[in-house]
Amino acid sequence: MLSLIKIEWLKIKKYPSFWLMLAIVGLTYPGVNLMFHHIYENITQRKDAAGNIAKFLLGNPFSFPDAWHSVAYFSSFFVVVPAIIVIMLISNEYSFKTHRQNIIDGWSRNEFVTSKLLDVLIITMVVTLIYFIVAVTLGFYYSDGMNASRWNEELQYIPLFMLQTFAQLSIAFVLGFLLRKAFIALGIYFFYLIVVENAIKAYLHFKEYTFGKYLPLEISNRLVPRPNFLGRINTESNEAYKRALSEINEYIILTVLLTAAIWWMSYKIYKKKDL
Amino acid sequence: MVPILSVHNISKKYGTIQALNNVSFNVPPGSVFGILGPNGSGKTTLLGILLDILKPQTGSFSWFGREGASESRKQIGSLLETPNFYHYLSAGDNLKITQAISGRGRLTDIDKILETVNLLQRKNSKFSSYSLGMKQRLAIGAALLGSPKILVLDEPTNGLDPVGIAEIRRIIKALATTGVTIIMASHMLDEVEKICTHVAILKKGNLLIAGAVDEVLTNEDIVELSAPNIEYLINVLDGFSGYTSKKIEGNRVQLFFPINTLQLEDLNRYCFEKGITLNHLSIKRKSLETKFLELTNN
Repeated sequence: MLSLIKIEWLKIKKYPSFWLMLAIVGLTYPGVNLMFHHIYENITQRKDAAGNIAKFLLGNPFSFPDAWHSVAYFSSFFVVVPAIIVIMLISNEYSFKTHRQNIIDGWSRNEFVTSKLLDVLIITMVVTLIYFIVAVTLGFYYSDGMNASRWNEELQYIPLFMLQTFAQLSIAFVLGFLLRKAFIALGIYFFYLIVVENAIKAYLHFKEYTFGKYLPLEISNRLVPRPNFLGRINTESNEAYKRALSEINEYIILTVLLTAAIWWMSYKIYKKKDL
Repeated sequence: MVPILSVHNISKKYGTIQALNNVSFNVPPGSVFGILGPNGSGKTTLLGILLDILKPQTGSFSWFGREGASESRKQIGSLLETPNFYHYLSAGDNLKITQAISGRGRLTDIDKILETVNLLQRKNSKFSSYSLGMKQRLAIGAALLGSPKILVLDEPTNGLDPVGIAEIRRIIKALATTGVTIIMASHMLDEVEKICTHVAILKKGNLLIAGAVDEVLTNEDIVELSAPNIEYLINVLDGFSGYTSKKIEGNRVQLFFPINTLQLEDLNRYCFEKGITLNHLSIKRKSLETKFLELTNN
């Protein structure tokens, strides 16, 4: 295992595109959170009654302990950036034919898939670390003493964010793995993520079918529900938020199952096919 | 003696095309084993199967008497079809990966190998900046890394200039004398003839013949002779017995004898006694090229 990580590191450490994309992750994650913080401030700084009520009801979503949740939610929009890295790393192997060479040089086919699994895990951890740093920084910056002392509540959003990222990057991986060409895989991933799944969800919602929540990306999206302050401030939306929170455990199971199935299938396919 | 490689009844189909049909042979240790065949005869498919990047429909193979494990592959230096390296990495960094995966050689061997294949000055240049010949030489270097006991080389001189071809041939010959087993696919027949101890000839996925070069090539002796009056010579030769067939090539006559049955001086004396003075008399072995064309052309 350690030797696989060492070899993947040899492949990655001098790959400029990898570091460029990682830098973009490092910029977009704080960026998107600051942007939403700005929107929040615009609402609450209104001098009228609505602004005051909002401030009173919401609290600052970027102070502790809500920061863990809010930052996880906003950061997850940009899973597409690490997804580009994941797709690049697998499609490179195909375009350089090193997916064959690694086997010729002595890896088993399982070891090759494991090396990619480790890539995805490592990228997930790096992304989670960036999320952690953003959440801690914003959390302490926007907390008063009272909030700051509550920093260790809602820490469950760290593993939830991590699982969500891993699940969604695994979907990106399997697209690159099966389609082989980076631009096709990326195109389909983006199109699916941004257009297709939302369209299906909206259609199913309109038709009042409930299985829209079982779409591949939606199940992991529901690990980190939409923060309450983005909803309308009324009882109905409050109820929906509470329901979403109570359903997280169910979606943890579904996400783990789907992700396990993706990797299991990848191992199976790679074992049998001509490279 | 346990063969280095043993191939049993391997068949492979791509859709309706039979790429390999029930191929079996053994590679003895220390041999230089040439796999010959026209384009599309299944050479690369065969090597791909032996290195586990293609899966056969039926059949099996074993390296060192063990069925195709990845551990065996680590001990084999291989060059298959095209040089496959990470384009954004330098030659040195690419060889570090080869070293790390195969466990062959040490990091300190990398410079030595790059010197052998004449790339040391370009060690830190990216692979993508290399010419075709340089890429091929790097691939040969990767195969040689850590002095493996077995080499599998698919068209090793592809893309090389004449100097490079001579250089690689010299390296292969030198390795062969040190007891390294070399399995080499090629369509450059003179190359194979100069180096190989054993050959297998493939045509459209069928194994036509396999064995030691001497056995494959020489099932007859060919005598070539010529005289000023060629018609008279042909007439006179009808009276000479022992040959199986006769062929006229321009102003020379070729006689085919079963192997080791002929004494050249008998033939010379016979002609002289019939009043013919020969201006050419030689015995020649069938070249691999002739044999190859004979086997593959019909």
